[in-house]
Amino acid sequence: MANAGIDRMSPGLLFDRVRPYTPVLLLILLLLGIGIAQPDFLRPKDLSVILSDAAVLFELAAGMTFVIMLGGIDLSVQAGASFASMVVAELLPSVGYLAFPITILIGLVAGLSSGFVHVRLRIPSFIATLATGGIMTGLSLLMEAGQSVSLQQAGRYQCVWITGNLILGIPNVIPIACVVALGGLFLQRYTRFGRFSAAIGAGEPAARAAGISVARYKIMAFGLSGACAAFGGVLLAAKLGSGSPDLANQLLLPTIAAVVVGGTAITGGIGNIGLTVVGTLIVSIVRIGMTFLGVDIFAQQIVFGTALVFAVFVTIDRSKIAIIK
Amino acid sequence: MLTVEHISKRYGPVQALRDVSIDVRPHEVVGLIGENGAGKSTLMRILAGTVQPDQGVIRVNGTAVTLRDSRHAKACGIAMVFQEQSLLLNMTVAENLHLTQEGEFTRMGLLQKRRMNAAARAHLSRVGLDVDPRTQVGELTFAARQMVELAKALALEERTTAPLTIFLDEPTSVLETRDIGILFDRMRSLKSRASFIFVSHRLDEVLQISDRVYVMKDGAVVAERPADAVTVSELHEMMVGQELHAGYYREDRQGLPQEGEPALEARGLTVRGVFQGVDFALRRGEVLGVAGVIGSGREELMRTLFGFLPQTAGTLTVNGRDLVLRSPTEAVAAGIGYIPRERRLEGLVMDLSVAVNMTLANLDVAMSRNIIDRTRERAIAKDWIERLHIRTPNANQVCRNLSGGNQQKIVLARWMTAKSRILILDHPTRGLDVGAKGEVYDLIRALSEDGASIILTSDTLEETIGLCHTILVMRDGSITGRFDAPAGAKPSQVALLEQMV
Repeated sequence: MANAGIDRMSPGLLFDRVRPYTPVLLLILLLLGIGIAQPDFLRPKDLSVILSDAAVLFELAAGMTFVIMLGGIDLSVQAGASFASMVVAELLPSVGYLAFPITILIGLVAGLSSGFVHVRLRIPSFIATLATGGIMTGLSLLMEAGQSVSLQQAGRYQCVWITGNLILGIPNVIPIACVVALGGLFLQRYTRFGRFSAAIGAGEPAARAAGISVARYKIMAFGLSGACAAFGGVLLAAKLGSGSPDLANQLLLPTIAAVVVGGTAITGGIGNIGLTVVGTLIVSIVRIGMTFLGVDIFAQQIVFGTALVFAVFVTIDRSKIAIIK
Repeated sequence: MLTVEHISKRYGPVQALRDVSIDVRPHEVVGLIGENGAGKSTLMRILAGTVQPDQGVIRVNGTAVTLRDSRHAKACGIAMVFQEQSLLLNMTVAENLHLTQEGEFTRMGLLQKRRMNAAARAHLSRVGLDVDPRTQVGELTFAARQMVELAKALALEERTTAPLTIFLDEPTSVLETRDIGILFDRMRSLKSRASFIFVSHRLDEVLQISDRVYVMKDGAVVAERPADAVTVSELHEMMVGQELHAGYYREDRQGLPQEGEPALEARGLTVRGVFQGVDFALRRGEVLGVAGVIGSGREELMRTLFGFLPQTAGTLTVNGRDLVLRSPTEAVAAGIGYIPRERRLEGLVMDLSVAVNMTLANLDVAMSRNIIDRTRERAIAKDWIERLHIRTPNANQVCRNLSGGNQQKIVLARWMTAKSRILILDHPTRGLDVGAKGEVYDLIRALSEDGASIILTSDTLEETIGLCHTILVMRDGSITGRFDAPAGAKPSQVALLEQMV
């Protein structure tokens, strides 16, 4: 191997080594950049605003991570979250605290249905979830003829575990997101589901030939994504004090961006929850930071769209993919 | 007229071509033979312009050329007729023939189909194919498609001044005897227009059609002979080389299968339209070979035994239980393991670690209380790495970086971890170098001594004969012969071949 030494020094391979750390570098640069421009931004009060924003987004992105890692996509998350906000707002007055588990269960079932449609009926996941998302949006709109549902006084009280500041004045959504992140990390590192998801994402034919039930784990991933989206919707409803059919609109792009900016490959295989934590923080800092720097809220989607293209461009090793569909 | 001089090509640790020189003279058919992995495909890709050699020169009419891509190779008069046909099945014959040449038939941005079809008709008559150029290629028989490919290759002569060389990659493997005769007739009559490089596994055919034959082995040309001064068995020896000595397949370690209940038994096993009425019993400690040409149904039989292609009739008895294996998951649960032909696709998850790949079929061994115990998993992997002499820096190494032989050992380690006692080895030595093949043979012997049951298919008949206790021969979806192959009294290749074709 006379030219091995030259290969190792080539910029392409050097970049391959740095690639996994680019999201973390980006996060640090963003913090420094905005911090220098607006030192107020780094005050604990403002940081906690960013983290609370990130917490809700993270619920959606955490579930999406597994789906993307398996090579699919879940476009129903924002519809699922909005639907869940309506369901929880409707249920709280009648069933009390039970509303929370029921809502998440409904999200799980919705996700499993998307997975079933995708895997068993062999419909591409982006179509399957676009369709189930449409169905959920329709149901949300039908519930109160398109109107939102306010959480009454009692409902707000039942949501204190979400809206309160139990530890050192930190909004509860932040520790809640931490628990979800740890749960995701555990799932991924120490369970069959996490291991087999990684195997299927990185090499589905090989995983199948090793006897792994590919269909089962794919459906499970969509179920998880549905449950996570529903949980995100519940947090959002609690924060805003009402459920609404369009509550989580505008969250789909940031959710996908959070997963992909973190470094999970949109083509599947490479990815993990840790990356999504970083990605979510980046997206939230950009969101809040833009507001802070006075960027028009309507212009923010432009930034996300651009960031998404850039992130996918940077994170995928395109040499392994023959045809980009 | 087309010469290849001292070409070398390396893929990572594998030397695919080593100082290969070949020349093709005008009006000549050059035969090119060699086992799988001998370097024929790499040479073909280099001549097609899709792969660049590391060293060496290609000359067309004495002028050195660098074949940048397939378009440039065509411009240099080198045309390819691929094994996996390159025709688009949803387009017509004429559209296929003139693909990327539509400009010639376009006037004011509109394609003139009438002119294109007329030109196509002329091309088709040259290869003696009587079909309407407006027919969709998907509706043609395989043999007719092959002729369309040939016509497409010949059409090149109108677009280049360079002499035409047509590279035929195993054109006969999917053809019936009658169609092979037609193909050869056409080739002979077309020799006035072009030269041919003819690649085939069937040595008798190579001798029949070629003027000269090149023999490749392990990436190098080992012999060049005029076709009328060499016999099939001589070619064979040159192709296989010293591999053929007695100990190569570890025959001395071939024991006797155990008596008693067979591990796996098939009675009347059928997949409609693919194979039918397959009967056999696989004993413990036995290596059972299945021989047959492409299309004989043996590839599909392997897939059926591992649950990819459930049978439509007949019974499959595994360890005394009648089963229909509906998925690989069920096959694994029944104690069956599978070493696929396509190692890079189905064998390993290339971007995951050695340890993860080893426990993929039986994660339970690495779990305690339903949680993956990574320390234990690594220990299991380390144990296999030592026992099977797998050359890897550590158990966390990504499989993609390892050599083919080591990758194959990891797949075997997986099934040993899963305690599979019935192993389906689908071309287990494909693409391995001689040393790695030897190690796989050792492992097969060790497994069989340990009482595991093995079903094997292979690229070469010697390997099947050398390794197996019993050999089934398949043709057209049925078993046409059964041979006992005890150590020291192996059947001849000719005897098997007679049942195969």
